[in-house]
Amino acid sequence: MKEPVVNTTVVDSATDTAVSLTITLPRIPDIELVALEGLERLARHLGIGEEKIGEARIVVTEAIINALEHAGGAHPSVRVEFTISSGTLVVFVRDRGKGFNPATLEDPVIQKKLGTQSKRGWGMKLMKSLSDDFRIQTGKSGTTITITKRMR
Amino acid sequence: MEQPFTLTTEVRDARLIISTSGYVNNVGGEAIANEFQKHYVSGVREVIINLAHSKVVNSVGMSFLIEIIERLSESGGRLIFTNLDPAVEKMLAIMGLFGYAGKEKTVEDALSALSTQS
Repeated sequence: MKEPVVNTTVVDSATDTAVSLTITLPRIPDIELVALEGLERLARHLGIGEEKIGEARIVVTEAIINALEHAGGAHPSVRVEFTISSGTLVVFVRDRGKGFNPATLEDPVIQKKLGTQSKRGWGMKLMKSLSDDFRIQTGKSGTTITITKRMR
Repeated sequence: MEQPFTLTTEVRDARLIISTSGYVNNVGGEAIANEFQKHYVSGVREVIINLAHSKVVNSVGMSFLIEIIERLSESGGRLIFTNLDPAVEKMLAIMGLFGYAGKEKTVEDALSALSTQS
């Protein structure tokens, strides 16, 4: 079975104010929990509060499950990188899928979801709403989502 | 790490209480919806979903709960969430679910609220 590949770096061990974690996740059920475990350990190490950790958990979960769904290739995987520095979390999530046109994504509204078959499609809205900055770079060779979130 | 999903159910005074534990992903969300459906066909129209032991949820799992809201809205029923982690509560608010479902701190609070509204 493919196992996740993990690299952890303490960027500033003297003050413990900046840490990063890079992980490559194969597409297997609930693999996003491995990344969340790493994120939570980093954040608690830096004394981040539980409510902010909870919000970051949602943002990261949505980014990873979305990327894994669209990851291409014979062995689909996504690369995830967290850095927490000066109380700010930066998350990169990269897949090697076919890319997409963000302009075609409709902002989901609960009233429109009721009475239709499609109840999904909330990931982007949640990532945008729970982050301070949200960027998408997408093309034929894949998509990278960059999320910045203040944690204090 | 978050534990595998499990749920327990209890019916009190014709009110269904679904208590979950672990990650509410697509599998967990579908399990909640299936459990609800079993009781819905028996006539249950008031439902409490207790997420005290589910700190990790995702939008796919939550989308199954929209189906529950839909069924209850159609039949004059009510849904109340309890014991929400603050971040999960924020997530449900962003999705607009509290326009169609209530929230209370505890199951007992939810039962009281349903009794008051009856």
